[in-house]
Amino acid sequence: MCGIAGILYKQQRSDVAIGKNLIDMLDGCQHRGPDSTGFALYHRQKPDQLRLRFFVGTGDSALSSIEDIENQLAKFQAKVLDKEFIGRTLRVTVKFSGDIQKFAYAIEKTAKVISIGNSLDIIKDMGGAHDVDSEYGVEEFKGSHGIGHVRLATESDVKLEAAHPFWATGFADIAIVHNGQITNYWKMRRRLEQRNFKFNTDNDSELIAVYLADMLSKGQSLMAALETSIEDMDGTFSFLVSTKDEIGYAKDRLAAKPMVKFENEELIAIASEEVSLNRLFPGQALNTMEPPPGTFDTWQKST
Amino acid sequence: MAKIDLNTTAVRAANEQIRQAGAAGENVQILNPDAKHHIGVGLTAEIQVHIKGSAGYFCGGLTDGPNFEIDNNVGWGLGDNMLEGSIVVNGNAGAIAGVAIRGAEVVIHGNMGSRAGQVMKEGTLLCAGNANFMAGYMMYGGRLIILGNSGERVGEDMTGGTIYVAGKIESLGSDATITDYDSKELDSIQDFLERYKISAPKKFQKIVNAGKRLRYASTEQQIRSIPFFTFSGASQYWNQKIQEDIFVKSQIGRYRIRGYGGARTLPHLSDLGFRRDLSNSIEESNPVSKVNMHTKIGGLNGAKPLDLSMPVMIAPMSYGALSRSTKMAIGMASSMSNIAENTGEGGMSDAQRDAASQLIFQCLGGRLGWNIHDMKRADGLEIYISQGAKPGLGGQLMAKKVTKELAKIRGIPAGIDLRSPSRHPDVLGADDLVIKIEEFREATNYQLPVSVKLGAGRVRDDIKIAAKDGFDFIELDGMQGSTGAGSAEVLEYVGIPTLPAIIEAVDALEEIGRRKNIEIVLMGGLRDGVDAVKALCLGADAVAFGTSTIIAGGCIACMQCHVGQCVTGIATQDPEHEKRYNPEIEARNIHRFLESVRWQIAAITLGLGYKNTHKLNRDDLVALTPEAAEITGLELVPSRKKDLPDKLQMRIGNR
Repeated sequence: MCGIAGILYKQQRSDVAIGKNLIDMLDGCQHRGPDSTGFALYHRQKPDQLRLRFFVGTGDSALSSIEDIENQLAKFQAKVLDKEFIGRTLRVTVKFSGDIQKFAYAIEKTAKVISIGNSLDIIKDMGGAHDVDSEYGVEEFKGSHGIGHVRLATESDVKLEAAHPFWATGFADIAIVHNGQITNYWKMRRRLEQRNFKFNTDNDSELIAVYLADMLSKGQSLMAALETSIEDMDGTFSFLVSTKDEIGYAKDRLAAKPMVKFENEELIAIASEEVSLNRLFPGQALNTMEPPPGTFDTWQKST
Repeated sequence: MAKIDLNTTAVRAANEQIRQAGAAGENVQILNPDAKHHIGVGLTAEIQVHIKGSAGYFCGGLTDGPNFEIDNNVGWGLGDNMLEGSIVVNGNAGAIAGVAIRGAEVVIHGNMGSRAGQVMKEGTLLCAGNANFMAGYMMYGGRLIILGNSGERVGEDMTGGTIYVAGKIESLGSDATITDYDSKELDSIQDFLERYKISAPKKFQKIVNAGKRLRYASTEQQIRSIPFFTFSGASQYWNQKIQEDIFVKSQIGRYRIRGYGGARTLPHLSDLGFRRDLSNSIEESNPVSKVNMHTKIGGLNGAKPLDLSMPVMIAPMSYGALSRSTKMAIGMASSMSNIAENTGEGGMSDAQRDAASQLIFQCLGGRLGWNIHDMKRADGLEIYISQGAKPGLGGQLMAKKVTKELAKIRGIPAGIDLRSPSRHPDVLGADDLVIKIEEFREATNYQLPVSVKLGAGRVRDDIKIAAKDGFDFIELDGMQGSTGAGSAEVLEYVGIPTLPAIIEAVDALEEIGRRKNIEIVLMGGLRDGVDAVKALCLGADAVAFGTSTIIAGGCIACMQCHVGQCVTGIATQDPEHEKRYNPEIEARNIHRFLESVRWQIAAITLGLGYKNTHKLNRDDLVALTPEAAEITGLELVPSRKKDLPDKLQMRIGNR
């Protein structure tokens, strides 16, 4: 039960104020979810580097978590280039060229991974868009695209782990934000678990992320993966997915969850409500569109 | 012309200014709307409001009289429940445009989103572009004109009204059919289009209700009723109730409908006792004068709270399920006892408003009888999500009771087996609900408490959502709650009993740190002041009585409420039957019952050692059965020592 937002600048640029854009859009629909706010942001990085973010908490337990994480990283021969203990998270940049899924599953045994990616960084915590920004400095972030989420917890607890965006556990650079409810969650999850996929939470949104990542890893396009997701997922949903260089959406057949999009030559912006889109263009009447039920689409950065 | 800039003025202040302009007969221009929600909500003046840009959700909602023009797009719920007046949108409209309109003219030049015209009753909704999925969903009346294509399942479950589509019909909804139209209808459409300067197509396809689902195929005959105590008999096997049930099903070939709630034995408040002996209250000849029972409900967010002389209300029961005389009598009794009455589904009558000094106005998904004027003259508003007797379902009112008069108030065709929608058109999640509550507050100037009625199902989650969504109080209804008509399967087997419901609710509020912050009114099979005190001890802030008040007013508990031929004149719309009911006399009977409740609450409170009902707490109770102890966490009496005597332990060990 939430609000979602996503934006992608189509030109090959990575210096746009994506952080600021998403803060504005999410603040615009904060009424849809006051419990927590999160951002999935993409920025440029060298090909053999990985950016990792862990939930470590605060105080002494955070320090011991950080020590555990560092030991694990050493075990996998991930060379730490840069690290920062900020808010309740630890961000680490490492040089790593091994199997990311194996690495992620192993490291999860000792630490709570929020995201892993070559260019992805997920920042999420309790409170509104401005609360999270003041703690993590989201506004400073420059990049090419990103997605975000405001959450009103309905069935699971209010805690950082349950906040969106969700990382597709084990798959670098894939994130999702979701508004709605997947009713065949357990059936779908068991199917993926039988194939040895791991889940960090009981949240249905993580399932969408892993499902899509699995399709992509089999060589499908994001467009094709979104198409089958509408067939395979039951329930009410509007979700946004982002990868290293594209974003996409899918909407359930009952059109039970809102979504509005605005597109021009420069950018594509999608949000739960037009009021969020208008935050990017104050005072302007926008030529927006509500995607029809059962539809999906993707946009890529031009290369 | 007044100009209001939403860049510098908040919507709430802007709406206040629009209303003032309306009172002065001055037109309004809205600058920099930037798709903000609730613009123009609650306006009841015939003025022009020109919105220079896009508007958000519920633009022009809950209004009567104004004419809106929006230069660009609008969000969900355009013109929600608008009575007279018009709205012209020059761009696109989001989902459920023209929801529940009752007379308004709504014109959209662009496309419109899904479920447009849902539960509309009167007036015209016109879309010059394409309509999306399920246009005309559950519409009861009025006219929906689509000049472009219709989208899938147009006219899904419509019960009345007409849909005209000029373009392609993607697919028809269930119980919708294409039929012929005459030149008069075409002329009328052309006149309408001309007025709004839209060129008219030459041909349409007309869609109406096919009439296959308006009534049950078979009607359940009235039968000799089985007295409640037999009906709810101890044995589950082949008792009189089971036999009767099988026999009736063998005649009608479907599930049964009946009145009242579950009749099974379930854990209830009677499984609890008071810890102390209450004899010290015997000394007191007038306990009522010694105990402070004054209770205010709903002031949490600054609205004017309900002011109750004791922590008691009347539970929501509709004019429709009950006769007008019965609703009058209950209203009068509530005034005499200085507590609050509730309209239930289906609108507010003048008689009811005049009779009750404090009246909550209930809003259901069908928006039957819902309107801005009655909202404004209510003392509280209530969003019905579900009820204890049939969680997850809407109201049912069998054809016999859907008289012409009643149908007119509700805005539906007369003589149908009314099965009200089980969900709100504009509330598909906790997130939409936030925006809906805000609309109600805007419409009534933040003066009225807005509550939510929840049938006990997933109590823990529901209560947390209700608290977070910003309601002023919660009405929680357990499984023992009754209804005028419901399927026996649901009445007996769906939901959570009242006792575990209140336990889980209080627990949920504690978990999110909102205990003692948002008030809970508990209902669902509460019978007297003893039950009331137990509920208060468990954490309810007030209780509501439904069935017990109608029994006090002459109901004989025959459980045939659905049939419509109530011998006591209570659950009927037949004037011949209603004649038997004397509202003045029954009002006094109900009042006397309520005063006995007051006395019981006072006497027990005093007996427990308090002079204020707000001091009642869990420690005053004990559980009388192992089940009740397990459910409530209260101590089971007799309490046992933890260590069993050696001999007993040995015997157990030897087994």
